[in-house]
Amino acid sequence: MSLPSYAFLLAGGVGARLCLLSEKRAKPAVPFGAKYRIIDFTLSNCVNSGIFDVNVLTQYRPTSLNQHIGNGRAWDLDRTRGGVRLLGPYLGSPENDWYRGTADAVYQNLIHVRNRRAEDLLILSGDHIYKMDYNAMLEFHRDRRAAVTIAVTLVPPEETSQYGILELDSRGKVVGFEEKPAEARSQLASMGVYVFRRDVLWQALEADAEDEHSAHDFGRDVLPSLLAQGADVYGYLFPQYWQDVGTIDAFYAANLALLADRPPIDLSDPDWVIHTAILDLPAVRLGNDARVERSLIANGARIDGRVVRSVISPGVVVESGAEIVDSILMNDTRVLPGARVERAILDKQVWVGQGARVEGGSGPANRVCPDHLHGGLALVGKGATIPDGITVGANARIDPDVAPEDFEGDVGAGEVVWNPRVAPGAQSHGHPGGREKAALSR
Amino acid sequence: MRGTTAVFLAGGRGQGLGVLTEHRAPAAVPFGGKYRLIDFSLSNCNHSEIVEVALLTQHAPTSLNEHVGSGRSWDLDRAQGGLRILQPFASRHRARWTEGPADALLRNLSEFDEAGTERLLVGSAEHVYLLDYSDLVTSHIESESPLSITYNRVAQGSVREARRIEVHNGRVRQLGRNKELVSGGELAAIGLFVFEMDFLRSAADARTPRTLFEWVAAAVERGVPVNAFEHEGFWADPVDLPTYYRTSMSLLASDPPLSLADPLWTVETHGEERPPARFLESSRVKESLVAGGCVVAGHVERSILFGGVVVEEGARVVDSIVFQDVRVGAGAALDHVIVDKSVDIGESALLGEGPWPVAVDELAALAVIGKEARLPARFRLARGGVVPVADRAMAAAR
Repeated sequence: MSLPSYAFLLAGGVGARLCLLSEKRAKPAVPFGAKYRIIDFTLSNCVNSGIFDVNVLTQYRPTSLNQHIGNGRAWDLDRTRGGVRLLGPYLGSPENDWYRGTADAVYQNLIHVRNRRAEDLLILSGDHIYKMDYNAMLEFHRDRRAAVTIAVTLVPPEETSQYGILELDSRGKVVGFEEKPAEARSQLASMGVYVFRRDVLWQALEADAEDEHSAHDFGRDVLPSLLAQGADVYGYLFPQYWQDVGTIDAFYAANLALLADRPPIDLSDPDWVIHTAILDLPAVRLGNDARVERSLIANGARIDGRVVRSVISPGVVVESGAEIVDSILMNDTRVLPGARVERAILDKQVWVGQGARVEGGSGPANRVCPDHLHGGLALVGKGATIPDGITVGANARIDPDVAPEDFEGDVGAGEVVWNPRVAPGAQSHGHPGGREKAALSR
Repeated sequence: MRGTTAVFLAGGRGQGLGVLTEHRAPAAVPFGGKYRLIDFSLSNCNHSEIVEVALLTQHAPTSLNEHVGSGRSWDLDRAQGGLRILQPFASRHRARWTEGPADALLRNLSEFDEAGTERLLVGSAEHVYLLDYSDLVTSHIESESPLSITYNRVAQGSVREARRIEVHNGRVRQLGRNKELVSGGELAAIGLFVFEMDFLRSAADARTPRTLFEWVAAAVERGVPVNAFEHEGFWADPVDLPTYYRTSMSLLASDPPLSLADPLWTVETHGEERPPARFLESSRVKESLVAGGCVVAGHVERSILFGGVVVEEGARVVDSIVFQDVRVGAGAALDHVIVDKSVDIGESALLGEGPWPVAVDELAALAVIGKEARLPARFRLARGGVVPVADRAMAAAR
């Protein structure tokens, strides 16, 4: 009988590349696959692997994450011993402050491990879509008597520069590691899933905390320094589906991949249920004029229009004569008659007016976030209202909570509609003209 | 609602529901795409803040027990109060089954004495309605009557087999002892009562009638003041298959009389964790309810699909109700069929086919397939036909 396991789940990152979707919520709380949130996959992996002691480290915009996880009941993590804990930064002693990095976040919470028998600690990330039995990795780790084991996955050559890339010998020992290399020597990428021997983690984090030159990041600082010291670090190859959804395009593609006849990840496996917060919502309602093809629709949605190749969350209403194609609609978004949505991501509680058209396609990259919004999608923030008859083009970005009066007409490709009621500094990107417009309207 | 314990009667056989209640209590019969009948009463309790709830069971309670569990889905898993299931039990002095609802209630009276209960709200575990019980209890307390009964007005243009009630100034003037045909616009009693514990204690010694209605009728005749509470919203008692079918199908109207999506009065159920419903390229679905976990490749029209139903390509499901985890094989056709859980319908089977009966009696028009039946390819079942519940031992041996 092995000792009980203990996991730290890193959920504090900013997720800047997801642009609007993670502006007001932590990336792990971004809705995914119609009824889930990204973190559901990692949390479910924990409980399905029999790990019932899960510490979620939060920092950036934790409200929606806190609300979603609650006391952990949906994952059977509402427990007397162990269970789920949400650990944000706090003040009180000289060691406590904002988390300076992933390693520092764990360091500041190591105290919680003291009363636990676990010998090996799991460090997980809440940003990925995958189904993994961590026990197999723990077994590998113990079998190799490793100090640290890093889960790795094979990524295409063009993506190696986004990950920590490992070189392994025939037994899986790490013989080379580079964080986000310009030119990679392998295609084995770190999944951000680590098993540390308890004493190794403790010593490594104490040393890292005192290193003034460290950015306090596992991938950038802690692992390279352990390797430099000659520690026994192994790579565990995870051969199944693993998807980073950290960019708008990857997020969109991973959602739409669920619509394939044989999707890369099976959400209906009774032996590996993906648990999520319980919403008491009725079955999907399809009306007299409904027409639905190749789509995923969550309970509580009401469809009277046409939905093709789309992912529809709870509470979404698609009215008669509206058309949704190749799109992602999040909770409680409403599309009025005659409106058309194509190649778009609509965050929660968006209102698309009658005859409006939100249509991605091709066009110039977004003017304020060209690095993140250039793949042709139209992106509409939470609570925004698209006025009747307005057209929104490719790579356009409509900010959260914008109202009809914030539109000056159609929104061309790559354009932006700001919310003038939000102070410019509070937005993730520069805000030209917003202040003047707000002043004028006063 | 301190001092009020809700008691739901779930012991009946539910004979009118045929094969659907052969192996389950009527209160556990699936309803509306993802619920069971008991969910309405328990959700009402949660929203009405009644935290002491008892279920009186007798007939085939297993599925009901499994469904309600600790009561967690309705926040009834509590340290103080919460949900209790009271099943008849044998003692050294007696071992007999309960003889009707009044007997069931009185036999368990001592259970409620201990809890410091002042009054019992007593209802059927099988009725479908949304009601703030605190309205009923408040009306009961204000009336200073030892007992209250609920009634509603029979919908215009329809007839209901029920007990006629006469009400004057909020008091019951007369209550029919037996069911009769009550026509549209008239008042009919509903099996939802409030009893003061003192009244029940004094009644416990007397010879008890079988039903609570007879009991209340007798009290009215004796001159006991009985408070009458009018329920105005949707209410249904799916006592037989045609009523069950009609009640279910009323949910498909574009503006259904019963709202299952009111965020302020959600209907809670034991969570079946299913992924979102999947609609494939060839799916054509309209005027239907499709629950999570369904995979639809065929045609579905005016139907209710519960969780995990698979409708394969070329299959047609029309005017039908299909319970959890049924497979409708490619090319099969269902017309006016109720299919119980985990049935496997073979390719190109034809269920509910044939001419309409001369007199369109709905029971004769509905085909019903019992739980776990395995219907071979090209199996044919005439309109109104019945396939019994599969014998588990036989099924395992096969």
